[in-house]
Amino acid sequence: MNSSDDDHDTSSRRSFLLSSGGWLSGAWIAAHLPGIAAAAHHAEQMPAEASGARLQFFSAEEAADVEALCSQIVPSGATPGAREAHAVYFIDRSLATYFAAMAPDYRGGLGEFQSHFLAANPGHAFGAASPQIQMAFLKTADRTPFFETTRMLTVLGMFSSPKYGGNFQGSGWKLMGFVDQHAFAPPFGYYDAQYQGFVPYAAEKPA
Amino acid sequence: MKERKFKANEAVDFVVVGSGAAGGVVARELSQAGFTVLVFEQGPRLEAADFEHDELKYFFLHGITNDGKHSPQSFRKRPGDTAQRVMGGFLPATYARLVGGSSTHYTANFWRCHAIDFNERSVLGAIPGTGFADWPISYQELEPYYTKVEWEVGVSGLAYASPFDPPRSKPYPMAPLPVKSSGVLLEQGARKLGLHPFPAPMAIASQSYRGRGPCVHCGFCMGFGCEARAKSSTLYTMIPEAEATGLCEIRSGSYVFHVDTNAQGRATGVHYFDLDKKQHFQPARAVVLSANGAETARLLLNSTSNRFPQGLANSSGLVGKYLMFNQGSGAQGIFEHELNEYKSVQVTRILHDFYDSDPKRGFYGGGGIDARINPQPAIWAMASGGDLPRWGADFKARLEAFPRAMASTGHSTSLPQEANSVSIDPVLKDAWGIPSIRVTYQDHPDDLAMAKFLQDRSYEILEAAGAQKIWRDAIEENTAGVHLLGTARMGNDAATSVVDKFHRTHDVRNLFLCDGSSFVTSGRGQPTMTIQALAFRAADHMARFAKRNEV
Repeated sequence: MNSSDDDHDTSSRRSFLLSSGGWLSGAWIAAHLPGIAAAAHHAEQMPAEASGARLQFFSAEEAADVEALCSQIVPSGATPGAREAHAVYFIDRSLATYFAAMAPDYRGGLGEFQSHFLAANPGHAFGAASPQIQMAFLKTADRTPFFETTRMLTVLGMFSSPKYGGNFQGSGWKLMGFVDQHAFAPPFGYYDAQYQGFVPYAAEKPA
Repeated sequence: MKERKFKANEAVDFVVVGSGAAGGVVARELSQAGFTVLVFEQGPRLEAADFEHDELKYFFLHGITNDGKHSPQSFRKRPGDTAQRVMGGFLPATYARLVGGSSTHYTANFWRCHAIDFNERSVLGAIPGTGFADWPISYQELEPYYTKVEWEVGVSGLAYASPFDPPRSKPYPMAPLPVKSSGVLLEQGARKLGLHPFPAPMAIASQSYRGRGPCVHCGFCMGFGCEARAKSSTLYTMIPEAEATGLCEIRSGSYVFHVDTNAQGRATGVHYFDLDKKQHFQPARAVVLSANGAETARLLLNSTSNRFPQGLANSSGLVGKYLMFNQGSGAQGIFEHELNEYKSVQVTRILHDFYDSDPKRGFYGGGGIDARINPQPAIWAMASGGDLPRWGADFKARLEAFPRAMASTGHSTSLPQEANSVSIDPVLKDAWGIPSIRVTYQDHPDDLAMAKFLQDRSYEILEAAGAQKIWRDAIEENTAGVHLLGTARMGNDAATSVVDKFHRTHDVRNLFLCDGSSFVTSGRGQPTMTIQALAFRAADHMARFAKRNEV
């Protein structure tokens, strides 16, 4: 709920909906998840479009900048990145539907991100700039709530069920080595395959 | 199907509010004892086929948990602060809102409390500024009921494996679940350090049990409903058995908002909303609240009357007070080979070497450590603490390390502090117009110190296990909880507790409270086993009282 304490961007002063740090620092329980997805509407489970190409919330220009940002967060390369996973289409759809409550703030944050970028790099939109320029700019802007929100949405867009419009053809899951299957059998990994069995302790209680 | 449907206004012996870990047990026990039982559940009734592998829905869109959009809550750290409505994510008091309650989405770690949990105040002495107290019952009194949980609900484990385990009258009914790589690594690392890891007791079937099949290792336990009916949720265990008596109805989609009392100060029944938000009254001979440690307190505080102006059963003023969430902390490690932790149950090895409080540490507290990971990809990918890479090629490399990662996590005590509470927000109301929950919570410094202590031990265990890279984050103060404990504490003295040792409220003879609210101290972070043992014991006494016309 609290915004970044490491401001480079006035947008972080806004009452953004997302925490920017300490995101699920460990692995224990849901209770440690800080605020996210305020007042979200229930997921409207629209069929995933194979192309994913129709924008519902962003303008084409906005989508280009957001996609470039997603692509900096999880770059393409030998393995698929956010672009191949259609993360931007997931984000677009989520802001039009179940994350609509955060959409106005998100658009505001995007506008500030764009104007800051233009002030530093006159003449080009973020999405049209070279990856090197994008990266250099992000190093000054990667602690803002807008960035954190985009990071969160990119992750959701890459690793949520493909039915939400991202994780195209399971490319996000493939990247992480996650297999969505309804049953597995042991051994599950390298170390349990080697396990020799549980050796009981001596009967007396340790000091 | 003999499933009972009571007629409108048909009086029943017992109304039970809540169908979760406690309510399900109470319903089965009372109906098997021959009483008519009507269980109210505000959420829907879902079955195994309705549950999905859908991380976005279950963790980010309130798939089966309470949703602040309809059921808002507010939060503040200290009683003097103005609470703010929590607008995002998990609510301060989070629970699963469906038949089976939080036993549907729990991780199913089923640790018994140890003897020390019940008389720790006597052993250690008072802790100034807290409500640290003994329970009015002992481990010995509860032991038969722990055994009952293991056999009736269904728990897998290895008896006598931990040298720190409390005495037990019977072994587990099922062998432990197959060990995972995280369990093997925790065991290897901990043994190197002279610790005593052992197979985790889990309320998940490792073999066919009472008509349910064994776990199929799909990995979607924590936060999800079990698609294989292997998790021993009351949805699959107690509730069908209660219905099979022909004396019990589970009325889902029915939201109880007021407990009524008459001029003699007896509970007469409950008011509830149906799915169309129409109000009804359900009469009963006795009322049991098992709505969880947040909603039970809220229901009592909202059930004011001329006779009970500060809320029902609240002559002590302690309803809602002494809320305890438990603390948690951990470290994550990356190993050379694949673990594939997204497969199978969340935990297969734990250790209790640090269970007891130790004055040498310089603070109060105790807990356990387990091996686990958040098995779902998006949540794992979002972690951003410490020096974890957050974007770019380094972040992508971390994502690709997912199959080689695990966590070692600590689960520990929360001291009972009167200022930590569930109370009624002065302005906020839910979608039914009922005043909302306000949570006031700040961890005791000792709770944070214990969490840090266990995090350091987790770090050492991962190191000893050969992790190539280890991360850990700052210990954070709780601003939300899923363990909702202590808000109607048990005790022998009506001035310092809400229910007696039989879970009967001191103030209202035919009103019983049984869920996490009854806890006097927090245990070590895995409360459901004890909630269910208490429920079996409470139901025994309720049936005894009812048979003697003493309710």
